[in-house]
Amino acid sequence: MSRSRKFTSQEKSLPVTLLRGVFAIALLAPAAASPFWARAQKSASPNVTADLPAGSMQAKATTACLECHEARIILQQRLSKPAWAKEVDKMTKWGAVVDPADRDALIDYLSANFSPDKPAYQPQRTSGGKGGTR
Amino acid sequence: MILRSFRFVDLETPVEYFNTWLTPVAHFFVRNHMYEPTQLDAKEWRLSVGGEVEKPLTLSLAELSKIETHSVVNTLECAGNGRSLHRPQVPGIQWGKGAVGTARFSGPRLRDVLQHAGVKSTGKHLMFRGLDEVPGKVPPFIRSIPLEKALDADTLLATHMNGLPLTKHHGFPARALVPGWIGAASCKWLTEIKVLEAEFAGNFMSPAYRLPNQPVKPGEAIKPEDTHPVTALSVKSVISGPGDGSTLKTGQVTVRGAAWAGEADIAKVEISTDEGITWSPAKLGHEQARYAWRLWSYDWKAAKPGDYTILSRATDSLGRTQPDTPVWNPSGYLYNAIDQVNIHVAVA
Repeated sequence: MSRSRKFTSQEKSLPVTLLRGVFAIALLAPAAASPFWARAQKSASPNVTADLPAGSMQAKATTACLECHEARIILQQRLSKPAWAKEVDKMTKWGAVVDPADRDALIDYLSANFSPDKPAYQPQRTSGGKGGTR
Repeated sequence: MILRSFRFVDLETPVEYFNTWLTPVAHFFVRNHMYEPTQLDAKEWRLSVGGEVEKPLTLSLAELSKIETHSVVNTLECAGNGRSLHRPQVPGIQWGKGAVGTARFSGPRLRDVLQHAGVKSTGKHLMFRGLDEVPGKVPPFIRSIPLEKALDADTLLATHMNGLPLTKHHGFPARALVPGWIGAASCKWLTEIKVLEAEFAGNFMSPAYRLPNQPVKPGEAIKPEDTHPVTALSVKSVISGPGDGSTLKTGQVTVRGAAWAGEADIAKVEISTDEGITWSPAKLGHEQARYAWRLWSYDWKAAKPGDYTILSRATDSLGRTQPDTPVWNPSGYLYNAIDQVNIHVAVA
């Protein structure tokens, strides 16, 4: 109904922060050789997107998962293999495009990278830690 | 803000901001399951009220704003706040302690709108649907609350937060405000209210947002009939300062924080600086409202240098006290274990 109308509330601030983040990450691009969690800790301003870790399933996981949500939602999980299997099956039911032949490899990739024994994910802060979305 | 996700937008308030009774909107946590509506226009927005009612209604924002306004200061907390602290870890946004905040929400009472529509005797639950945009085949974020809570004098169709129109992140132009209950009950970008004969049947009522009736062990199978929907918040306190891992000097240290208990009142907050052997009462702040947190403070004399664990433990008017260890559940809801920070005290 009102989906086709222009948004008019006052919250315009977050995108400004995001844009700053885009420029910051462009400058930080050479840091891409370091592991993703180290990059997340080092960058001073949050980038809009984060990458999934390298691996034979990186491209397929990116297509399947990041179509609907960003990588951080995956990067912050620390789950057992059965728990990852449950998530992958749920998301496939919800529209993630996963070739049945890739299912097991995708679960292996996620549980190898995001298992309970990995160090906790260090989230970034907006506005350089000052806390605002103004 | 702590960035949990940009897409979908999920932002957490750092605990050091919990030093004002009302949380500034810019520092108020944001939780979305879906994409925020890409386009919203106050003039075109409509709210429909239907289902088990005598007279279905459609209201514009101008019509809604003509109904008498009521204000409720409410502590809104995500059911998953503290999820990252559960062991073993559970899937979901890995919130720390800051998916909570307190604001003054204003708008018409939901019951006044329902009175215009006339709820039939067959109506037992109230469904809320928002304008958030659903990707893929994800089930829409639709939930329901029992009619009794919907008719409570403090349940609102909120259009304002801390005196200003809602921002997009918080549900502009109108959201449900179901006080004392988990944030998921307070549907944002509200566009449809439907009176139902039974609890809404959909993913976000079951299997999501349910707790086992009895404590379960990780991996244990749980039958749907042995679960219930998560509704009111638990008793909880959080230490806002000193910060975890900070170094202080010997002498006077003020430990501060906030404590809340959903539909109940905070009776006391106690602090321990000796790992739970002895507890002393904290001083509760004078600002209070039925569904709002109490700020608290405790003056501690850090006489000797060394490493300390500071604990805070709240008890509410129902006699509930924060547990020593979290009550694990498969989705990590309602984490409310005794809070703690570890600090180092150095010679002044």
